[in-house]
Amino acid sequence: MTTLAILTVLAPLVGPAVALAGVRARASALAQAGGAAVALGCAIALLTTLAGGRPLQGWDGFLYADSLSGFFLLTVAGVTLLAALGSISYIAAQEDSGELGAFQVKLYFTFFGLFAALMLASLETGNLGLLFVLVEGSTLASAALVGLEGRARSLEAAWKYVIISSLGVTIALAGTLFVFYSASALHPSSNLALTWPYLLAHAPALAPQSLRLGFLLAVVGYGTKVGLAPMHTWLPDAHAEAPSPASAMLSAALLNVGMYAIIRFLAIAHARLGGTYPRAVLLSFGFASIVIGALFMVRKGNFKRLFAYSSVEHMGIIAVALGFGGILGLYGALLQVLSHALAKSVLFLASGDVSLRFKTREAAGVSGLLAAVPVTGGALLLATFAVLGSPPFGVFLSELTIVRAGFARGSPIFPLLLLALLGVAFFAFARTITAMVTGGPPEPAPASPYRDRAAVAVTAAPLILGLAALLVLGLWIPAGLDAVLRQSVAVIG
Amino acid sequence: MQSLSASSTAGVLLDLSGAAILLLAFACLASKLFNRYVAYYGAQSVVLAFAAGTSAVAFHSAELWILAALTLVIKGLAIPFAARRVLVGQLALKRDAAMSTGLSTSLLAGGALTAFAYLVTRPALLPHGTAAAAVVPLSTAVILLGALAMVVRRHTVAQLIGWLIVENGVFLGAITLVATFPFIVEAGIFLDIVAGVLIMVVFVSGLTRQLAEASATELRELRG
Repeated sequence: MTTLAILTVLAPLVGPAVALAGVRARASALAQAGGAAVALGCAIALLTTLAGGRPLQGWDGFLYADSLSGFFLLTVAGVTLLAALGSISYIAAQEDSGELGAFQVKLYFTFFGLFAALMLASLETGNLGLLFVLVEGSTLASAALVGLEGRARSLEAAWKYVIISSLGVTIALAGTLFVFYSASALHPSSNLALTWPYLLAHAPALAPQSLRLGFLLAVVGYGTKVGLAPMHTWLPDAHAEAPSPASAMLSAALLNVGMYAIIRFLAIAHARLGGTYPRAVLLSFGFASIVIGALFMVRKGNFKRLFAYSSVEHMGIIAVALGFGGILGLYGALLQVLSHALAKSVLFLASGDVSLRFKTREAAGVSGLLAAVPVTGGALLLATFAVLGSPPFGVFLSELTIVRAGFARGSPIFPLLLLALLGVAFFAFARTITAMVTGGPPEPAPASPYRDRAAVAVTAAPLILGLAALLVLGLWIPAGLDAVLRQSVAVIG
Repeated sequence: MQSLSASSTAGVLLDLSGAAILLLAFACLASKLFNRYVAYYGAQSVVLAFAAGTSAVAFHSAELWILAALTLVIKGLAIPFAARRVLVGQLALKRDAAMSTGLSTSLLAGGALTAFAYLVTRPALLPHGTAAAAVVPLSTAVILLGALAMVVRRHTVAQLIGWLIVENGVFLGAITLVATFPFIVEAGIFLDIVAGVLIMVVFVSGLTRQLAEASATELRELRG
């Protein structure tokens, strides 16, 4: 089991090893995808062994994985695989056109692999201090991806990202400190006191005041990484300027890792402080994010920014679901994590193909996608409706669960507000995308940026894979996944 | 894990160090010259290393000694010297007058934040008579002042050092509140800081080069 856990983390490092050996983009990306597939396989295997209910523990609590970690490992490893598949043609095309030099290609795969490995590692530790170290490490690795293209705009976005996120995570460290301090009445050995299973088991003995402050600081700090408003300001810039597969990693994997950290703190705070205080904190940040996300989606412009604001909105929905709480709310939140990750990966990967072909990231510069590039256009349209919560896709099911959880809590105001905001988001988002997808293709038709037909076929692979998984989630939740979700909900409490 | 009493020698020394660190954070906030800004940050880190050493003596902890030495070498010496050589020297940043608010406004805001830090951390949070009760409000104030420096300073390097001031505040809190995080975590934090500074310096020099090129292009277009 420990071997599986270690292998999950180390497998994505195959890409960097191959790229540093001086291989060109296409082969490096294939190696990266192979590594990601191994990581996903290990994550699934680990999840099935964890499904027995016994968590994996080792190294003084530095290594810890239960169903909740397993579920997030599955999500992140899955997204990594999709993004690595998406990198194959995208990076090769940029290398061929000379937009990325050999050194930049090396940098891309090095930091892509590191980024994935650090995120996976942060899901496997029980130590809240080590969690900070790994999350901050993943910030730095992904900042290099954001600034990869080296233009003034991407450097500015990378700077904004790294400085805001680093400050945020440092605030989370201060929060961790106060949570750690709240346990000082227990006189534990210092390593144990910082592991969250220990804190959860001894929750009644924690000092409430400092736990309260610690929880708030942790939500603000890790919320910066999640992109909760008003700490979301780095997010649209970073998502818009990063290479598209890296944007998919940011939106569908990194944000979820931040959410995972918040969930861990939530479990401890919930056990000691009861529901009211954590619920109020999460509902406030959640609704603020949904409002900000939905309103900024109304503005037309860069389509990658549109997707980024949609991520802000969805992270808000997940925070609201956690705030609603109860089995239904938590179940919906986790389901939303997975289905949003899949839908957003497809959107960003499709946007990569679009921006390569049309040489623009402005929605106004793109039209007739369905006629010009049917597969990408179709995937973009389907993923758009999926992410907006149309049946029969996974997001519909999870948002329905969340709204039901809201009504189950009594006051209908919050779920009604949520529905209204989802309506605004639907209108704003769909308006821009339908304009891109329909209509006649531009004259002359944009030239294919890819070397051969095989490369074009490879771009379709992650889109179809992601949409298929999303469709399955919408129609039927596999029994194994359902069991994992129920166990994870029980872990949160 | 015993807590340090405020009247013990170590407690008094920690308290004094905390006050000095807060004053140096104010000095950073107020300095107009880039050289001094960096120098004050270096001095703050040296005082922090002294505080960590004090804590190491009080808790008989070898790990804290290592951390004190790391703080002195990396934060006290290496980062300030590198900042001066690379950024002030190569990028020719002599003055750093670029603040988005006036000097007095930012100092007043700093004072208000310090008062706020006392308000938040004082009541009922910390047991009376411990060194932590005296130092944690100071460290919280340093965190807030570092964040303020990041907000009011326009230049990227100044924002970077603001982040390092925030880190110093957290570290000061850590050594008094809980003696220390596990060593591997502290070592990881140091690694993150070093990697963070390196990557940020790459971005800063990239941005500076880009901006220089951009202005040069404009100059060429006005020919003839």
